[in-house]
Amino acid sequence: MKNLLFLLIIFFLYQQDSFALPSQDREVKIYKNIRCLACQGQTLNDSNSDFANDLKKVIKRKLDNNETDQQIYSYLTARYGDWILFNPPVKQSTLLLWFFPVFILVIGLLILYKRTVFGKSKLS
Amino acid sequence: MKNKLKSTSIFLLFISFFVIFYYALQSDTKNNTQIMVGSKLPNIQLSSLFNPAQKISLPSTENENFYLINIWSSWCVPCRDEHPFLVKLKNDNQIKIFGINYKDKTSNALDFLSKLGDPFYYVGVDSDGSKSIEIGGYGVPETYVINSDGIIVFKHVGPINITTYEKIVAVIK
Repeated sequence: MKNLLFLLIIFFLYQQDSFALPSQDREVKIYKNIRCLACQGQTLNDSNSDFANDLKKVIKRKLDNNETDQQIYSYLTARYGDWILFNPPVKQSTLLLWFFPVFILVIGLLILYKRTVFGKSKLS
Repeated sequence: MKNKLKSTSIFLLFISFFVIFYYALQSDTKNNTQIMVGSKLPNIQLSSLFNPAQKISLPSTENENFYLINIWSSWCVPCRDEHPFLVKLKNDNQIKIFGINYKDKTSNALDFLSKLGDPFYYVGVDSDGSKSIEIGGYGVPETYVINSDGIIVFKHVGPINITTYEKIVAVIK
């Protein structure tokens, strides 16, 4: 049980960008969530293509104009669709994508809990 | 009884996985370049290639049934390939074509037009690529057909060939 708890803590820490990448600023964070549509599976942050550089400049300008992350993402998805985002927004068509893994995790934890508790009670 | 319930649940779980993954495979997960089709063309202001002091705004306020926007550059090889189709579109269909000269040297752009012909009603400059991004562009060449309400009714990413030419003609007729 202790090991399981330890693994869960590591898992959740890994999920938190602030722990994984402490020096990452907002600009890079946004670039990392944007797909370079002119490249093969690269983020905007990793790409030096013309398209990526143009988009970086546009995003930088929007950040300087104090636009929120959500406003920037909305601007981009209106022009290029949800495909441009690595983390698609939570909406009806993506509910399954977001919550199915959580559902499976809960089922798994329940099975694990049932087995460990019942296993212990059987032993005692 | 307990075993039957267990095997039924596993079976149902398997079926639901199958349905979910089948549905996921059917859904469009590729880049869709046609997102802007059916939307209003965002406002952009362009400075003229020939006279930087002269500016125009798109969508055009002139009373046109349809007009074209073409993103091009002199350094773009496919732009040279599609250029005769733009000239033909202008000559045969009397349609106004607004050019957006993408990240180009003015002298090279002017040379390109003087050598290959100028099918454009107006050529605006996009020196940093931001105008193209504003209208949902990916690069060069790219062509849009806009109707009188300023709605994008057709978009083509890549050079115009005979098939694209015929599609454009069918849209503007």
